[in-house]
Amino acid sequence: MSTRSTPVEVSGFRFRLRPHRAAELSMLLFFAVAMGLPLLFLVAGSFNLSPPGKAAVYGMGNWLRAFSDNATIEALWMSFLLSAVRLVPAMAIAVLFAWLIARTDMPGGNAIEFFCWLAFFIPDFPLTLAWILLLDPNYGFLNMLARHLPFVDGPLFNPYSFWGIVWVHTSAGGIWFKVILLTPVFRRLGASLEEAARVAGADTLAMLRRVTLPLLAPMILAVAVLSFIRGLQSFNTELLLGTPAGIYVYSTRIYDYIRREPASYGEATALGSIFIVILALMLFFYWRFLSGKRKFTVVTGQGYSIARVKLGKWRSLAFAGCVFYMAVMTVLPLVFLIIGSFMRRYGFFDISSPFTLAHWQNLLSDPIFLVALKNSLIIATITTAGGILLYSAVAYLLVSRRSIAGPALEGLCWLPHVLPGILLGLGILWLFLATPLRFFFYGTVWGIAFALMLSDSPVTTQAFRAGFLQLGSDLEEAARVTGASWWYTYRRILLPLLAPIAGAVGLMNFGGALTSISTPVLLYSHQSRPLAILLLEYSVTGELERGAALGLLITAIICLMMLAGRKLGLRLSGLQ
Amino acid sequence: MVPAVLEFRGVLKSFQTVNAVDGVGFSILSSEIFTLLGPSGCGKTTTLRLAAGLEEPDGGEILINGITVAAPERGLFVPPEKRRLGMVFQSYAIWPHLTVFENVAFPLRVRRESNAVIRQRVSQTLESVGLDGLAERGATQLSGGQQQRVALARSLVYQPALLLLDEPLSNLDAKLREQMRFELRALQRKLNLTVLYVTHDQTEAMTLSDRIAVVNRGRFEQVGPPEEVYEKPATAFVSDFLGRTIVLEGTLNKTDGGQWVELTHGARLAIDSAQLDSLRDGAAVRLSARPENIEILPAAALGKNQIDGVVEQVDYLGDRFEYHVRTAGALLVLSAPKRDRYGSGAKIRLSFEPSCLSVHPR
Repeated sequence: MSTRSTPVEVSGFRFRLRPHRAAELSMLLFFAVAMGLPLLFLVAGSFNLSPPGKAAVYGMGNWLRAFSDNATIEALWMSFLLSAVRLVPAMAIAVLFAWLIARTDMPGGNAIEFFCWLAFFIPDFPLTLAWILLLDPNYGFLNMLARHLPFVDGPLFNPYSFWGIVWVHTSAGGIWFKVILLTPVFRRLGASLEEAARVAGADTLAMLRRVTLPLLAPMILAVAVLSFIRGLQSFNTELLLGTPAGIYVYSTRIYDYIRREPASYGEATALGSIFIVILALMLFFYWRFLSGKRKFTVVTGQGYSIARVKLGKWRSLAFAGCVFYMAVMTVLPLVFLIIGSFMRRYGFFDISSPFTLAHWQNLLSDPIFLVALKNSLIIATITTAGGILLYSAVAYLLVSRRSIAGPALEGLCWLPHVLPGILLGLGILWLFLATPLRFFFYGTVWGIAFALMLSDSPVTTQAFRAGFLQLGSDLEEAARVTGASWWYTYRRILLPLLAPIAGAVGLMNFGGALTSISTPVLLYSHQSRPLAILLLEYSVTGELERGAALGLLITAIICLMMLAGRKLGLRLSGLQ
Repeated sequence: MVPAVLEFRGVLKSFQTVNAVDGVGFSILSSEIFTLLGPSGCGKTTTLRLAAGLEEPDGGEILINGITVAAPERGLFVPPEKRRLGMVFQSYAIWPHLTVFENVAFPLRVRRESNAVIRQRVSQTLESVGLDGLAERGATQLSGGQQQRVALARSLVYQPALLLLDEPLSNLDAKLREQMRFELRALQRKLNLTVLYVTHDQTEAMTLSDRIAVVNRGRFEQVGPPEEVYEKPATAFVSDFLGRTIVLEGTLNKTDGGQWVELTHGARLAIDSAQLDSLRDGAAVRLSARPENIEILPAAALGKNQIDGVVEQVDYLGDRFEYHVRTAGALLVLSAPKRDRYGSGAKIRLSFEPSCLSVHPR
């Protein structure tokens, strides 16, 4: 085993090796086509007066028609109003939960945190359906109960209203997502910073007011602004609760334009374009705001805080409050979703034998359901596998310090984070209609998977990126020096090491693909209809009981998947 | 003539505007340990990574066994996996998802060796680094010292032309470091390895190397055997970096009778004539010496090449004393064994061996 002086294994002359650069450029090209083109088509389409597929005639007609209609302005205004109003209770509750979990001696903090994590995965469409079952003016259970109260004649609650939409959002995943985001922030705030305030003579309240909250304010504000922007993407709840009452947001208005007979593509794209401009402006200011505040976000200090605020006699009250909130906002609707799926006619408890298995039997034997289930599984599998392959490669390029196109690539990757699903769907619809891509993608499961994969790019890329950063470059370089090619290293070293992350984001994306409605709603056809769309169809055609069964089924699949993932020790490393 | 195992010819590498490696040239001969020694950020690790092919040079030429592996002017670059070098990383870079056996077997699997060959070579290599019996252990269940041995075995198992060691001992505790240093040297002798070793630790460099290159700001300050580099530092940086140095200033006096340096207060020290060719009579010079080469004697003892001094402060360091001595206009910090003891304010004499004094122009 001596060092022989045989020649090194030189493969002859090579051009300055640039497979790395080539990969980078092809990624950039892919994203430019996959994300840039739909946006471009969307904007161009808004000036095109003839329907897609026909020879283009350009003009301002779409814009004039869209904005001479008062409803368009109202829809835009309603989008902002809804997103802003519901942010107030959501942020207050999320901050309170995060603070109680992370910084106080409230009992059962871990259990509550786990529940938040689980509740985050409950899809919002079945939840909205559940609230309809509880609050509907005609058959809603709570309204029927309220009738027994004195001085109540008509229905007490009405979910088909502005406040109904706000209420349902306050129980949906978004609020738990904020808790999940904020809890580690509260926890990581350096214990020493608070302890220094204590030593300097501050009591609990003074410390909270003068140290804790000012330090966390930028982060809380950042979460709030992001939530506001993401709130504008909301579609499901607004469609189910707003449309019957004539309350439209821009996304349901776009849906309305496209589903009309004949479809008004022009108006839809005009509305989508103006919304993209507004979104871009907001993002610009959000970014400016974030970069200005960066000096604050690094003030995380060292060590986790061990000293927690003593709540004293409020201890059990705080715990009871949390449990009550979760019971009313999550458990109660789910329970009624279960009851609803077993009732012959929902709300009619007085008829003979009100309970039945018929809805479940009908659902599970419905050939349309079986096709949709198959479609959903195919779509979710393609989306998940494609996303893992593509975004792990993108993340690898982003962390490699040789990257030149890094910022551009990263920017494109983040785009779908703020681009509403319905606009992404609309842009991609245009891309398919106007190019030969339609032969393969239009109305097929592949087209839907393509759109969903794009919408997964921010979180997936970010998770892999964090993984690569944590691994460092030594493990990879060690393999290269021992003689392994890049591809061999990627397969045998990098991919196995990143398997936990791939598993975690894979589960998330799989679940996301099963539940997404706003992204595929403009792209599906009768052959490629996924489960979530079937659920939408049941809901709008009034088959609530069967819808409840399907909604429960989807919710159960998602929750089981996430629990299994947690059991396997997978962590959402990218989100933390 | 047998070509050098590794040769750098005027190699340049810059990051943004900083020249990390600034026109470096050297050759490593077969079976020698060649050490790059320097402070952090001096470019020694970049030099090693250039040799490994993990960085591409911006200029110059790198040859392995006489074959060019990087020559940017000619658009030539051989990637790391084609260079047949072994490398031990500072972090060891043990793949946590593989066992000890699979870690060491990896380079052979890449080369599509048969399972029989792999089993035989891996166990042989593990034995040579003292890891026999741990083959099925998970890589993360190992101590730091064991991980280091795995990294070493992994880089030796395919008989590389050259072994690159990037501060391999810096993550070990002091006692283990000493032991590994010894074992590393023994292994190198036994297997006849050619090694490029990077460290910032002077002791490691001194005890392990056949030749040392002292690196500063991307350039080689001095290349030579350890003793030469230490005793005859070519530049002020080298003498300063390699342990403690005392410095006296004076003017050179060259006569037929001898050569000495006139210090302040009339003191003078004779010096070796060999190193003075480039300096003229009357030149302002700086004398440097290692503190351990200066003997502290009682004021009464008279001998050759001595100057007077006064002890200003005494520190007790457990195994020895440290004296702060005022002499010839300078304050020197010198160690002395415990058997002699001088109090603060004591008059003493300092004795210098002419061959241990280096002279540099001021």
